[in-house]
Amino acid sequence: MLGRGIFQAVFGEFLPILLLMLVAAVVAGAMVTLSWVLGPKKDTPYKSSTYECGVTPVGNAIERFPIKFYLVAILFVLFDIEVVFLWSWITVFKGATIQYQVFSGVAVGIYLVLWIIGDAYVIKVGALEWDEEPQVAPEKLLPTPVEAPTIAAGSHS
Amino acid sequence: MNVNALIPTVDWRALAPFTIVVCTGIVALIIEMLRPRRNNNLVVGVSLFGLLVAGWSLFGMLGGPSDESFAGMILNDRFGQILQLVMVGSCAVCFLFSEPYLREKRIPFAEFYPLALWSTAGGMLMVSSKHLLMVFLGLELLSISLYCLAGMSRYESKSEESALKYFLLGSFASAFLLMGIAFIYGETASLHLGRISEVLGAASASPLSTIGAAMVLVGLGFKLALVPFHQWTPDVYQGAPTNVTAFMAAVSKVAALGALVRFLWAIGTLDTVWFPLMWWVAVATMTVGNLAALVQNDVKRTLGYSSIAHAGYLLVGVLAAFSAPGRVSLDATAFYLISYAAMTIGAFAVISLTASGQHEGTRFYDVRGLWKRAPWAAGCLVVFLCSLIGIPITSGFFGKLLIFQAAFDAGLPALAVLLAVNSAISTYYYLGIIQAAFVTEEGAVAPRFGKPSASLNLACAVCLAGVLGAGLFAGPLIRGMGTAEVGPPVGVPVQDPLTIHTKNTSD
Amino acid sequence: MDVGHWLEGLGQSNPVALAAIRVVLLVLPILVLVPGLIWLERRLLSWMQDRIGPNRTGTVTFPSNFPLKFLAGKKVRTFGLLQPIADGVKLFLKEDVTPSAIDKLVYFLAPFLALFPAFALGATLPWASTGFMPFTSIPGPYSLLTPVANVEIGILYVLAISSLGAYGLVLAGYASNNKYSLMGGIRASAQLISYELGMGVSLACVALATGSLKMPDMVMQQEAALWGVAEHIQNWFVFTPWGLVSAIVFLICLVAETNRAPFDLPEAENELIAGYHTEYSSMKFAVFFMGEYAAMFLLSGVFAAVFLGGYNLVPVRWEHLADTYPAMAGFYGAMAKLNYWLGPLWFLGKCAGGVAFFIWLRATLPRLRYDQLMSLGWKTLLPLAVANFIVVALYIVFTSLYGPAGGWGAWGGATLVLVLLYLNIAAATRKGPLASPPRRIALVDGTEAPASLREREQVKT
Repeated sequence: MLGRGIFQAVFGEFLPILLLMLVAAVVAGAMVTLSWVLGPKKDTPYKSSTYECGVTPVGNAIERFPIKFYLVAILFVLFDIEVVFLWSWITVFKGATIQYQVFSGVAVGIYLVLWIIGDAYVIKVGALEWDEEPQVAPEKLLPTPVEAPTIAAGSHS
Repeated sequence: MNVNALIPTVDWRALAPFTIVVCTGIVALIIEMLRPRRNNNLVVGVSLFGLLVAGWSLFGMLGGPSDESFAGMILNDRFGQILQLVMVGSCAVCFLFSEPYLREKRIPFAEFYPLALWSTAGGMLMVSSKHLLMVFLGLELLSISLYCLAGMSRYESKSEESALKYFLLGSFASAFLLMGIAFIYGETASLHLGRISEVLGAASASPLSTIGAAMVLVGLGFKLALVPFHQWTPDVYQGAPTNVTAFMAAVSKVAALGALVRFLWAIGTLDTVWFPLMWWVAVATMTVGNLAALVQNDVKRTLGYSSIAHAGYLLVGVLAAFSAPGRVSLDATAFYLISYAAMTIGAFAVISLTASGQHEGTRFYDVRGLWKRAPWAAGCLVVFLCSLIGIPITSGFFGKLLIFQAAFDAGLPALAVLLAVNSAISTYYYLGIIQAAFVTEEGAVAPRFGKPSASLNLACAVCLAGVLGAGLFAGPLIRGMGTAEVGPPVGVPVQDPLTIHTKNTSD
Repeated sequence: MDVGHWLEGLGQSNPVALAAIRVVLLVLPILVLVPGLIWLERRLLSWMQDRIGPNRTGTVTFPSNFPLKFLAGKKVRTFGLLQPIADGVKLFLKEDVTPSAIDKLVYFLAPFLALFPAFALGATLPWASTGFMPFTSIPGPYSLLTPVANVEIGILYVLAISSLGAYGLVLAGYASNNKYSLMGGIRASAQLISYELGMGVSLACVALATGSLKMPDMVMQQEAALWGVAEHIQNWFVFTPWGLVSAIVFLICLVAETNRAPFDLPEAENELIAGYHTEYSSMKFAVFFMGEYAAMFLLSGVFAAVFLGGYNLVPVRWEHLADTYPAMAGFYGAMAKLNYWLGPLWFLGKCAGGVAFFIWLRATLPRLRYDQLMSLGWKTLLPLAVANFIVVALYIVFTSLYGPAGGWGAWGGATLVLVLLYLNIAAATRKGPLASPPRRIALVDGTEAPASLREREQVKT
């Protein structure tokens, strides 16, 4: 009974969650290991080779993959952190006094405007385009802005 | 529930320069987002205007009293304001010559302007706070923007290399800094430098605070390129696009020095531990920077080593101010920072002329014949390099003289002599650059140069005015500096820093 | 009928036992229902696709000499209900083929990590009313049984645990040492994190409007009068304008989070064999599906609790009706009691309805391309959710400033402004025509080329 008291004291109302996680871990662990125990084991070289549609595997599996995935991960970290900062405000906003609501509302409004600018920028530079190169403005590459020469425009006729 | 108490009072006046710079960056980004087609003139214009406004607001605050706001997060004192002014000015001058350079190198990256503005804002935050958390925040803002900027030239592998090196070593140093802050917090239960100084002053040095202070010094020393932590400097300076190098050399150094001064003030009572250490670091920084610069054959790399050496000179000034408080002030250091920013940005601005049609060579033989192609810029280069050497009537001379004098006054003659010797050594490689720019061999194929644009000439003129003006009006400038007290903020009962440093532990 | 008292006593004398009861009441239905869901999916899909589906397993034909006369020679059908059981037994007894080139520890850890969050997800989810019993001010027995833990973090817990599922998939892809698995795992992680954002912000809208993160509180707020006006109807959030937007965003993100069609790119069989679980066999293979179904079921429950009035059958305030119309009080009272006591059933029904919706989607919609997936998540759902968030905040501020009319005015104005803003940003960020002008064919003297030549060139380009 002493042990339970300590658990209760340490985890408080989170104790049932701990219990649930324990149960979930046991169930999930059992599912994963049971077939390992119950099933037959007849290993052959062919069976244990990597499955690549029936042909012999070519090359190494851990190979380079598009940088876009990395970019998405970075963007997620940035934007998710920004959302995380909002959560603590969310919980106090509704019950607060009107002065606090207006003050914090303006502050969060500025914050969200920055957020929107960030999102628009990410979309604008093509960080989320999957099939194409990010767009740069090619005209800017020229040393001085000149009109692209056009051969035989329609104006001639 | 009553959360009314949570509404803070916002001291917009103290926050104005920083806010203006950040908002200018955001506006610049929006402009870049909306109409990027033809050129970046509008972005540059808005950025310069914002910097002007920020500088004006800083100038307006110069006379005011020093105070703290945001619960000790923001400090508003004269030292910080002067350093902020230097950073704002450096950023503006960098912007002046960036546009032709970016065009010449075919870098369609107008995000340079917002990123540089945010970086400047980070630097401004670093020097205008006595709260270690804010210092760290500012440092990260400064550094992360610089990591991106260093790798801005995407088709050059050396630029990528420089960005990656800077990022890896920089984050390593940030980790050191953060760890050190954590240690110091563990010892003093505070992140505010005033409080830290108070607590450390009351007790004797403990391992925790010593290790913490050492780690913070490592982190800041990395940013300042002090000698054991200087290895990244030449590579990064060489690889990064030249306008970024100029920006980095000026803003990042000023910011790191400001933070270092504030931190050293806070750990003043531990000076039996750190003073000898920093003494040797200053010696090593000056010597290694200059000796290594002798054997370089790349202008940017040479200037990179020279910036290390200059960090050493600056450190001498700082140490002098700390070892003889009351008699020696930080004025000399602040003055030297101003002149250093002007001359180093000017030198890099001229070097940026070697970019021509996507190609940029900065080796000594790549600047041959600069004199014929761009006489005004080449002439300015001579002045900047003379100032870096320390030849009279330039501000570099007066800066070195003042630091030399300060070191003597503070009873650090060895440092003073080493400074003089190192200045003499440095003459060799600076003259090498001048020679490369002016002497053309018969029959040699002259390298191509970009055409010096009006804005570059203007940038050179501004830097020239800075170098010569600071030299000619050194007296009034020094008298007007008034950074003598980096002292305790109003309202925090801290022992007067001038009485903390009663010992003189050096030589 | 003193379950309530007994539970209360148990809670005081032995809280761990009470917690265990709660956990069992949550986990057991999931364990039992997951095979049922698989059966439901197969039957429903085959029905939608005009085929028969599994309907034989479990059908018993009794011999004609069977002792019980009324069964002799009869067929007893169970509509294939035992099919998932048979599948389970088969899967347990199959050989667990483990490829030789794998990362052993991670390979075994991955299915575990895929299943674990699905079971742990429901800790803060109320499956029955936690409030007072009808016409009383006594908390009913359900308030002791659910949710497993009524902690303050509430909905954040759901977000946190559901995002853990990404680990299972990406580690499975990484550990398998198979190109297709790796690709599937990476796709899964990118997809999950992309839709995590929209999901988080859409739930943040609800949390902002209710001022609480606890899901029981959210359900109770939905039992108020609709829009504060219609006294007899419950204010299910899906009926409010902002709630509808949130619900749509959340629902789409839900489908993507559980890797269900049309967002099943991580296991797109015509591109990636079977995606991240290509190298898994036997029960480890099935564990991924168990995780998927359990998550689907529980997240449907979250959707029901947050937007669909939770354990209430219909959005009618029976108690209020009974108070208003005493003549009909008997009927309304009975309905209120029915609504309360059979709450778990209604909740279960809503969950099942959600799963049926998932299955319907799978039968109807073709799979998205990856760029469509990303652009839907980042360019449509996320801005929509954030705009909705701003609208809710403005609504609350203006309601406390100028009363309900001000709130609704702010709602309309903000919506208008945000829609215009979005259209503008969309117009500004839309890709223009190609940077280089289309090729023009001209003869040497500058005259336009003949039409035939031009057409041929255009076809080529």
